Amino acid sequence: MYNTELRGPLILGNKSLNQITEDITAPLYARPKFWWIVGLGISSTLMLFGAWAIYVTISTGIGTWGVNNTVGWGWAIINFVWWIGIGHAGTAFSIFLLILRQEWRSSINRAAEAMTVVAVGCAALFPALHMGRIWNFFFIFPYPNTRGPLWVNYNSPLFWDFIAISAYLLISASFWYLGMIPDFATIRDNAKSKVKKAVYGFFAMGWRGSVGEWKRYEGLSYILGGIAAVLVVSVHSIVSTDFAVSVEPGWHTTIFPPYFVVGAIFSGFGMVMTLMIIMRKIYKLEDYITNAHLDKVAKILIFVSLIMGTAYMTEIFVAWYSGNEYEIFTFFHNRITGDFTIQFWGMVIFNAIVPQLMWFKKIRSNLLIVFLISIGINVGMWFERFNIVITSLTKNYLPSAWAEYSPTFVEVSIYLGTLGIFIFGVLLFFKYIPVIAISEVKAVNKHQVKGKKEKVTSETLTEK
Amino acid sequence: METQYLLGVFDSEEPMLAAFRKMKEQEIEIEDIFTPYPIHEVLENHGKKSKITIVGWFYGFFATIGVLAFLVYTAVIDWPLNYGGKPSNAFPSFLVITIILVIFSITILSLFTFAWRANLWPSNVKPIYHERATNDKFVILVNKEKVDEVKASKVMKETGATEVIEK
Repeated sequence: MYNTELRGPLILGNKSLNQITEDITAPLYARPKFWWIVGLGISSTLMLFGAWAIYVTISTGIGTWGVNNTVGWGWAIINFVWWIGIGHAGTAFSIFLLILRQEWRSSINRAAEAMTVVAVGCAALFPALHMGRIWNFFFIFPYPNTRGPLWVNYNSPLFWDFIAISAYLLISASFWYLGMIPDFATIRDNAKSKVKKAVYGFFAMGWRGSVGEWKRYEGLSYILGGIAAVLVVSVHSIVSTDFAVSVEPGWHTTIFPPYFVVGAIFSGFGMVMTLMIIMRKIYKLEDYITNAHLDKVAKILIFVSLIMGTAYMTEIFVAWYSGNEYEIFTFFHNRITGDFTIQFWGMVIFNAIVPQLMWFKKIRSNLLIVFLISIGINVGMWFERFNIVITSLTKNYLPSAWAEYSPTFVEVSIYLGTLGIFIFGVLLFFKYIPVIAISEVKAVNKHQVKGKKEKVTSETLTEK
Repeated sequence: METQYLLGVFDSEEPMLAAFRKMKEQEIEIEDIFTPYPIHEVLENHGKKSKITIVGWFYGFFATIGVLAFLVYTAVIDWPLNYGGKPSNAFPSFLVITIILVIFSITILSLFTFAWRANLWPSNVKPIYHERATNDKFVILVNKEKVDEVKASKVMKETGATEVIEK
């Protein structure tokens, strides 16, 4: 069990169980704050922009985007991979740390999973729109149709992608909801207002915390944990095969699946960090999301950042070592030097170099700097996807087929729209769902108090 | 009014566990225990068994067979298509879809199994014996018809129940 004082306590201030409930559910009962309404307004405006852009895309066509014959994948695919990457943190957080029985996950997992569900929803929008004729979307389902029946091509990574993303969205949402059932029951039993009692009671599904319920709940958590761990790794590997099976310089490499999975976890943890720092500040949850939690996330970021740096260097080394002139051109004349130097060096600096500053405890414990670094990671990861998608496509084999790419206002608006969806979703989550898993934190609190007692007795023994 | 149950309400985990052990020792049958978070000693020793993990394994086993059979039927038997001369029965690339869809099936099926076995569904109303059992109280419930009422309430009070309620 987690009894050491060395890594800092996970819950501060010797809370009673009732106080934990009250602290975490307080925002649910409070009147919406001014910043919350402003945030809702801004995100709704962004969503309106996005809705307009989607209307233009569907009614006129993909021609309203900046993509062309050479650069067939533009901002849509960059943003798709970016959102999916962010969406990986929630599940990585919950699942890997659940399986490894790390108790410090408990204060953060709920918010990270919320982030996952919203981000994956945003991501799924892009490939759907990129199909062009979205009203024929159902063609991708393998159903007995009147065209043969002509079944879909199971060898295509694009089909794998469709399956993986839909499964991922559904499974992360189920896992998230499962964790919330006991907390909804807590709210049902504590809320004063009748409406709240009825609504949360509906979603609590009659949970009472009996032996049979807890036992099956734990069983199901471990089933979902075990299989979703496989899913997290496989979803982003599949996204990477979208690229890796194409014979494009800079894409056709075997490092892509692990490189994408690690990149996804990196950007996701970066976003978790950003969100946690904001969340603990505005809801004054410093007692639950302690400096010890943020310190652990920071350490993970340092480690993953090293892997990212290694992956970048490996790619460049292999391009040179292969002796393939197209690979060498892409990496040395179109990324390190050439038209896209800002994006390439932005990626290297934000992802591989700046996070290394967190080796110093002074920097790691300065939350403003950590916050800026985490924002930098999100920008850097966006640059990475830009590098992969755009540099390889603009200048591949025949110079006569080279083309430029810049996004149109419509493409940018769709991206802004998904940012709006994300902020909107997170704000609703803040207001209507307990942001920390109450029942899990209570169990952690028990161990904390126990640990303290043991420590006191052993110290007093040595004194005697 | 005739009451059916006896509720021992505890403020923290340790006295509740003490009562739990003592009642086990004296063979007083416990109907149910309500706690704000899972307590493993209770879950393991209460006597209720859950086979959900084993059932989950079987869901996975049958889903694997089902998905592979579907892929082989559609791509090899029903309408084989020539994609650049590659074999129709492309087992390695079928595996990716199989893994994802098996995970998908296990999740859905075990979720419904969970809902059915733990008796949970939206807007379900079950009797709530103690309102704070989901907050900060630990409640032991015994059925008065099955146990000696006096003995049970004595054990609860001895081990530190803050109140013993008849309901």
